[in-house]
Amino acid sequence: MAGAGIIWVALLGPVFALLTHLSWHAIGSSLSAPGALDPLVVSVESGAVTLAVLLVLGTPLAWMLARGTLPFPRFWEAGVLCSLLLPPLVIGLLLIFMVGPYTPLGSALGAVHLSATNTFLALVIAEVYESAPYYVLGAQAAIGAVDPRMEEQAALLGDRPARVTRRVTLPLAGPGLAMALAVAWARAMGAFGAVVIIAYHPYGLPLQIWTSLQETGLASALPFALVLLVVALPLPLAAYIWSARARGRRRG
Amino acid sequence: MLEVDVEVDRRAFTVRAAFQVSPGERLALFGPSGAGKTTLLETVAGLVPRARGRVVLAGRVLTQTWAPRRAVPPWRRRVGLLRQDPGLFPHLSVRQNLAYAPSADPSGEEISRIAEQLGIGELLDAVPARLSGGQAHRVALGRLLLAHCDALLLDEPYTGLDGGLRRVLTDLVRSLVAARQVPAVLVAHELADAQAFADRLAVLDQGRILQVGEPDEVVLRPVSQRVAELVGYRSFVPVTAPAGAVAGVHPERVTVGAHPRLGVVLAGPVLAGRPSGAGWEADIEVSGVMLSCHLADRPPIGQGDFPVTLLDPPCFGPDGALLPRPEVSRPGVSRPEEASA
Repeated sequence: MAGAGIIWVALLGPVFALLTHLSWHAIGSSLSAPGALDPLVVSVESGAVTLAVLLVLGTPLAWMLARGTLPFPRFWEAGVLCSLLLPPLVIGLLLIFMVGPYTPLGSALGAVHLSATNTFLALVIAEVYESAPYYVLGAQAAIGAVDPRMEEQAALLGDRPARVTRRVTLPLAGPGLAMALAVAWARAMGAFGAVVIIAYHPYGLPLQIWTSLQETGLASALPFALVLLVVALPLPLAAYIWSARARGRRRG
Repeated sequence: MLEVDVEVDRRAFTVRAAFQVSPGERLALFGPSGAGKTTLLETVAGLVPRARGRVVLAGRVLTQTWAPRRAVPPWRRRVGLLRQDPGLFPHLSVRQNLAYAPSADPSGEEISRIAEQLGIGELLDAVPARLSGGQAHRVALGRLLLAHCDALLLDEPYTGLDGGLRRVLTDLVRSLVAARQVPAVLVAHELADAQAFADRLAVLDQGRILQVGEPDEVVLRPVSQRVAELVGYRSFVPVTAPAGAVAGVHPERVTVGAHPRLGVVLAGPVLAGRPSGAGWEADIEVSGVMLSCHLADRPPIGQGDFPVTLLDPPCFGPDGALLPRPEVSRPGVSRPEEASA
């Protein structure tokens, strides 16, 4: 109990510090400047696109990892872990070699008038790299926790595999998937290391905080931290509440 | 009619079995853990893709691994499987669980009727987590009935429930199988469970069916020494003729005293005795073999030879096969003189 209290207070420390060092005046002047809220829009939009990419591409991978349908499953898992272990800054640097303008991929994108550096696309790529392992590993655990015998029973009762997925697997994995998605969202909204290298523009909120700090100092940077917190929090909070309710209902 | 003739390779041995179950008939597959019983049920349900052979249910070929090949997927087999874990969907209410099968009557009328019949009419709005073990099994059974399966497969469904509840649920399944006229197959590793359920009992060991017969016949006339061991014969004592033959000793087929007309008379010192249920279990040593017998009264321990009669015991030749009855029905047995003295 004491340990739990200590870590909880310690984790909240920076938030208290943020709230105590903010003044209404600073918030007003920082956020009322022309275009001040553009980074907010960029962050929310790129975060939403990132989540969509994770859902579409990450869920099948998590599914196959959970069900052991991939050959050499440890190899695939190690791949996901590698991206988790590399510092985001390093990932950003390495992405330059992968999708930078002078790489085959970069020139292919250039041919269709796209670029993966300093564009919205680059921002999404960086956010996907920073959040995907968290989503895939979380979703893998959520799907792996569904008893395959439940799915087998549903099939024997007459459901085709797609219907089993819709009526049994996804509802049962739902709370865990929502939590994984919430964590991924938080990572995407706060992504900085890879972003600062390959997507310096357009500014999302973390970059806005960084540039404000450099250009005008801490006082004008902190309001954007508050905005980030306020904007990023509702989705994970809703996921938490929904998961807890769904789990509670199942426990009776 | 359910017709099964299949082979499934497993690590230690190949499960190879053929059996038929008529509509309304109840077959029990009895055998030790790991004998391949569950594999057979899962093969019928279409859950063992590597199985070879043929499964036919109600005239529909569900599996056939030669031309014309056929592998009907589980969701089109119309086969109900009930396991020890009732497997209710935890995110759905009892009513939604009952109505789960796409083939269930959507009007709700049949749901109410079957729920009443199973004694779960009051629980329709509850979630599975709130149900007791017995209630959950009733819901699982109701779900299968509402799915209108063509066959019922039961994989030790009531193991772990207390005896009274087990009997109630077994009787319920028996009456439903009779009413629906579907073939039913139960897998059990407890002989009493298999006997309580079945019209016919198949003894399975190491993937092979060793004997099929009436539930009492299999116990009274096991075709081999191995079957005898599986159905509860704990020891085998040598008999005088033919040479090398042994008589099977079932603890519950022993009576006190020398009754040569009833079977084989033996005598030996009682080495130990302990209460067992309403009677006593005694260890008697005869010709160097320890016999475990269930007796009505406390036996005299360590007071000289104690005569007992094995009631019409099955006798086995040196090859382990059952010997025909006439040869051994005479009490030409080990030490009968001493016993009657």
